[in-house]
Amino acid sequence: MESLPSRNQISSYIIQSQEEEIKRIALELHEGVGQTLYSVFTGFQFLETSVEGDSLKGYIHEMGELLEKTIQEVRLLAVELHPPTLTTLGFIPALKSYLKLYTSTYGILVDFINDGTESRLPEHHRMTLFRVCQEALVNIAKYADSLQIEINVVWKSDCLEILVKDFGKGFDVDKEVQQSAGIAAMIERMKIIGGNCIISSVIGEGTVIKLFLPLQS
Amino acid sequence: MKNKSIARVCDELLLHIQCDFVGYAFQDRIGPNIRWLVAAGNRNDKYKRITVRYGKGIAGRVISTDRPMMIADFPNNILGKALEYPIMLAENLLHSYAVPIHLNGIAKGVLLVGERKNKRIFEEEQQKSVQKAAIKIEELMNTHLDEDRW
Ligand SMILES: Nc1ncnc2c1ncn2[C@@H]1O[C@H](COP(=O)(O)OP(=O)(O)O)[C@@H](O)[C@H]1O
Ligand SMILES: [Mg+2]
Repeated sequence: MESLPSRNQISSYIIQSQEEEIKRIALELHEGVGQTLYSVFTGFQFLETSVEGDSLKGYIHEMGELLEKTIQEVRLLAVELHPPTLTTLGFIPALKSYLKLYTSTYGILVDFINDGTESRLPEHHRMTLFRVCQEALVNIAKYADSLQIEINVVWKSDCLEILVKDFGKGFDVDKEVQQSAGIAAMIERMKIIGGNCIISSVIGEGTVIKLFLPLQS
Repeated sequence: MKNKSIARVCDELLLHIQCDFVGYAFQDRIGPNIRWLVAAGNRNDKYKRITVRYGKGIAGRVISTDRPMMIADFPNNILGKALEYPIMLAENLLHSYAVPIHLNGIAKGVLLVGERKNKRIFEEEQQKSVQKAAIKIEELMNTHLDEDRW
């Protein structure tokens, strides 16, 4: 008798097909829509220099600026959805580009330390690590009220450890794990790739999220 | 020089309408970025690092639509996600009201007021004061046009 796929396999399949879709949209924004808008923008720049008349020039200049803002926003949206570097350069470059965007969006300073060199991870492991860090960071922006945070990534010979630490409000972890999907999903996603996620928090002091992933040598 | 005069307008507005926060953001002279340049009543300096995302959140939307906007009882009843409202999160605001600031007739900035506690939302009287302050800022902008903007 054939055995049914396990719950883990099903969750994994659902997550992966969603991620594929997000990646496709991000790529389309970045390479498709973004590129086309950029071509239009350079066209506008050319027009601006070639037309006569201050009011027309001014109008074209404003249109160009509007396009520039839109291009910028499309690019940032793509980084939030799926940083292009995650597939090409790896987890650390993708995390770094997201952190830059994070500080400029939320004003939260990130003290980032990467200790060791990134080992080659399967793409869906990189994706999971990125998403779990992103969820932790988004929760901090939404709830922690922390001015500054710390992220430490340590590559050891047989495992990877990531620490995300805030100095904000803190919360009751046991209670939220029972009733909130975001935190439960972080734990579940780390389990699916064979790692784990430990959250500890002290009210009034802050929260520490520890991710752990064994590495094959 | 100019930002100092604008800071004075923001301080006066804070006192006048008795709100918790006033912020002023404006587009960089070069490039598309819109940044918070002046704040009054701020509880930290996150605003200094925030670049307003065009079309998003209260500030981004006020500039892209060129219309005033009100948020009451954040994060309830908002368009989009709470995450799209960084200044509300950074300053822990519950209510806010924002109006566009124009340069040569085009919305290039925003003046925003906010409340942290469960006080009354911004009423017409207060909204008018914010609009007046915005006009004052626009006038300052024009008198200082000859200066290098930042
Ligand atoms: N870093 C944090 N600091 C303070 N509170 C947090 C933090 N992360 C999560 N929380 C709390 O845990 C709850 C659950 O988070 P989560 O499961 O991600 O759900 P959601 O983000 O959808 O509200 C949040 O509503 C918040 O109260
Ligand atoms: Mg969450």
